[in-house]
Amino acid sequence: MSSESVLEIHSLLKVLGGRQILKGCTAAASKGQVIGLLGKNGAGKSTLIELILGFAIPDAGYCRVFGEEGARMSAACKARIGFVPQQDDLIPLMTGEQHLALTASFHQHWDHALVQRLARQWEVPLARRAGVLSGGERQKIATLLALGHRPEFLVMDEPASGLDPVARRQFMLTILEIAADADRTVLYSSHIVSDIERVASHLWIMREGEMAWQGELDQLKESVVRLHLHAEHDLPLQLALPGQLHCRIDGRNASVIVRDWHPARQGEFEALTGTSMEVEALGLEDIFLEVNA
Amino acid sequence: MFTLHPQSGVPIYRQLVEQVRRLIAGGQLPPGAELPSVRDLALQSAVNPMTISKAYALLEAEGLLERNRGKPMTVAARRRSADPLANRLRQIEPQIHHLVLSARQLELSRQDLELLMRKIWEKSNVE
Repeated sequence: MSSESVLEIHSLLKVLGGRQILKGCTAAASKGQVIGLLGKNGAGKSTLIELILGFAIPDAGYCRVFGEEGARMSAACKARIGFVPQQDDLIPLMTGEQHLALTASFHQHWDHALVQRLARQWEVPLARRAGVLSGGERQKIATLLALGHRPEFLVMDEPASGLDPVARRQFMLTILEIAADADRTVLYSSHIVSDIERVASHLWIMREGEMAWQGELDQLKESVVRLHLHAEHDLPLQLALPGQLHCRIDGRNASVIVRDWHPARQGEFEALTGTSMEVEALGLEDIFLEVNA
Repeated sequence: MFTLHPQSGVPIYRQLVEQVRRLIAGGQLPPGAELPSVRDLALQSAVNPMTISKAYALLEAEGLLERNRGKPMTVAARRRSADPLANRLRQIEPQIHHLVLSARQLELSRQDLELLMRKIWEKSNVE
């Protein structure tokens, strides 16, 4: 797998209305990664995406896609990117088919077969005007518009939020199919943690305009765990273990969530606290709540 | 063939590694058996393909699977008895750890536990 940089973000700063929306984000993505961008509302996800795509200009730092900076991106570079916005900008009087034909005409290469296949799979009513479609149907069309030129880098801002569970699963499978082409990269913002847990290989967690965690999803899951401590005598009222995020003590038992965990530390922790312990792996939902606690 | 739970705290690649290990140890996946391709398994279980390739790579490094150019991966010829005792013990240690903790929570003595284990051990030998 090549490690050519698809996206480089460096000390990115953005101020809107006197408030720092992004406080110096640094991150990078390479080919083949499916990155889940997680964060509470207002964490800065959408602003980050706008800066990546060049819809806004950073106040400091930079953001490069395939080596080019957002606001000055060449047409050739833009052609390698696909974007599914949170709010689609379909024209109400135009049908899905007309939208597809119009978008296809802007691109040198357009994969009609792929678009037709997905439209059938997703049961998109292409012959009807966008104005009378449901939110989910519009979202599907917006996605087709972003996929037709087979972008190498696909950016999606909460793409599945308007879809029902069945459509969401189909949608996830499509993302996975794209990801199975190891040359392509997906950046996917969502607060539906279970979707991200399924499809993402990497994770960026944003919190109050900062990158609170980034890395491989597996690595995150292995490094944040809940320890169940059992002692012979009552435990002290406070514990301060290395990497401790959260601690609940109940007499001789305690449960502690720690970060930077490694199985080799178990002996050290047991000696430190004079307890025996069990290690419980945590799902992403729990981890996300802890990181934001 | 495999049951993967993305929402579990255990990373998906590790779930897969452990299931393949067990299926090989139990003989359900005999030497030479073919595994599904990374792409097929990823789409079938709706999980990221990188996760699957990571699991396969680990199993290959362990010598349990063999990569064949242009063909599916297969289960390697068995060399189970050659696996050092220490390795096999290490594999079972987490379960024993869990067992001992549960026994302590139930306030069973070591003798109680050993007695029960011996019984179950002998019964399993007959089958």
